[in-house]
Amino acid sequence: MNALLSGRVLVGAALILFVSLCAMFAPLLASHDPGEQDLLNILLPPAWSSGGDAAFPLGTDSLGRDQFARLLYGARLALLVAVTAACGAAVLGTVLAHIAGYFGGFLDWLIGRAVEVWMSFPPVILSLILMVGLGTGADRVVLAIVLVDWTRFCRVLRAEVLVTTQRDYVTAARLSGFTHLQTLIREILPATLPLLITLLSLEMGIAVIVEAILSFVGLGVAADQVAWGQMIADARSNFALAPWTLLLPMAAIFFTVTGFNLLGDGLRRTLDVRQTIARSA
Amino acid sequence: MIAILFLLARRLLTALPILLTVSILMFVALRLLPVDPAAMSMPPNATNEDIAAKRREMGLDKPLTTQYAIWLRGALHGDFGRSIQLRRDAGHLVTAALPATIQLALCAMVIASVLGLGGGLLLFHLRGGASEALGDLGTTVLLSVPEFLWALLFILLFGVLLPVLPFIGQLGPQFSVVRVTGFLLIDTLLAGQGSAFASALAHLTLPAAALGIAFSPAIMRVLRSGLLDVYHEDYIRQARLRGIGEGRILIVHALPNAILPTLTLMGVQFGFLFGGTLLVEVLYSYPGLGNLMVDAVRNADLPLIQTVGLTYCIVVLLIGMTVDALVLVLNPRLRAR
Repeated sequence: MNALLSGRVLVGAALILFVSLCAMFAPLLASHDPGEQDLLNILLPPAWSSGGDAAFPLGTDSLGRDQFARLLYGARLALLVAVTAACGAAVLGTVLAHIAGYFGGFLDWLIGRAVEVWMSFPPVILSLILMVGLGTGADRVVLAIVLVDWTRFCRVLRAEVLVTTQRDYVTAARLSGFTHLQTLIREILPATLPLLITLLSLEMGIAVIVEAILSFVGLGVAADQVAWGQMIADARSNFALAPWTLLLPMAAIFFTVTGFNLLGDGLRRTLDVRQTIARSA
Repeated sequence: MIAILFLLARRLLTALPILLTVSILMFVALRLLPVDPAAMSMPPNATNEDIAAKRREMGLDKPLTTQYAIWLRGALHGDFGRSIQLRRDAGHLVTAALPATIQLALCAMVIASVLGLGGGLLLFHLRGGASEALGDLGTTVLLSVPEFLWALLFILLFGVLLPVLPFIGQLGPQFSVVRVTGFLLIDTLLAGQGSAFASALAHLTLPAAALGIAFSPAIMRVLRSGLLDVYHEDYIRQARLRGIGEGRILIVHALPNAILPTLTLMGVQFGFLFGGTLLVEVLYSYPGLGNLMVDAVRNADLPLIQTVGLTYCIVVLLIGMTVDALVLVLNPRLRAR
């Protein structure tokens, strides 16, 4: 338990908690509606700099929309997509990895070839193509990320399952009358769980980036929803005049992704028994 | 040499079914789209009969398998269909845009390799010290900055705040260069236009640096852990006992072994990096495959999406093959088999 509270895990969890609270209490924290336009107050700088207005703590964008409110509501979408997409990709990838690694043979070959096909595509390109087919919307973004990123889980976990399947206690479980499903769930899954949790955290960071990319290109969510990538796209035309409109969503993406990466990295170090042994040896 | 040819031949044989599968998947995914390419390619005042005729002409009334067979036969003959939006041959559009993207990706790979290998050596040098944790944390933070954030940051820093480098397009508007190879850096040199070469290089600097930096921390990490593993081997201790200097041990004895897993990872990274050019190109209005792809996607230009997508795929497979061959050349243990 002590090891779980390493610096990385704590800082990462704190960052994610902060972003989650911002997202959760967005309606309470924001004094404006994120879509509300105020054309008399466009491109206002943040409140603390000269020319700023206390009504708009972080300034306004080119349509006079409150940046603070947009950041908070953007966090809602980013986290929603990150958590659901990462979990979806984890479920799909984990199930396939366990089938491939445990049963081997033709199923393993088939899943291995599927991973190979997927890996021959740069993830950004594949998700763009999928978004063309799926259409826009937060649920489609989630689906695209699941369909692209399941291989990240499948590749890594399959190797782990393969090793675990060779263990004596798995044979013992089978001999004592466990069905394949029981063996997989009660003997093999617990062994791959630490790795799975680590990958899940890292995948959430990746999902935040992918969501930002897709909404930046204009293929992400519907136009009336707020997304960080969309804020970046909007800010691009005025960034020489108002660099803060660009910097704010960039910082939001950076801190969220750093949070997930620190968490994942910290968990990897503390949960991976072999690495802990290797380091103490 | 024979082993390398054998490996390349085997990789080619596995690459073909992959490409075929990718093209089928892409074809199906794109036909799920609720837009009608025929209607999109007609003027707005076209009648329903006109559109139906166009659908027949484009083969859209046939079953999906027949449509795919028609596309595949064309593709094998080098005909990838016409772009609906640009009304030009999709294959030509791709070959015109590809050199710019390859040039960007290659420069970014050089930057990523230099930063990654240098950073890896530095991290290894810091091992055991108090700064090790700092270096470790640094790579985690670096890993959290994707290429498009670097690209935006560089535009703000070196384009706006300190306007030292251009960040739009790939050449200053005052230059015109005869295209021979399509690679601007080479073409300007061939034409003997020194100032145009400098302009092309300046335009390439920021996007290539943004991509390179984004993909370097993973290389740093693998090189460091590769070196850490190698230093546990007996032969390193043996070298020390023989009185060989630490610098020589690192360069001559440890690095050749530690570099192998790094190279394999770099191959995977370069595949991702090639995909990463897409957003960087969009941000820098750099006329390559990425901009072509995004425009095609925004206009639901199916033949063009399909062709550009397949091109990305082919390049990634080629990068993988090159790296595999390189690892084989550098690793004597694999050659024996």
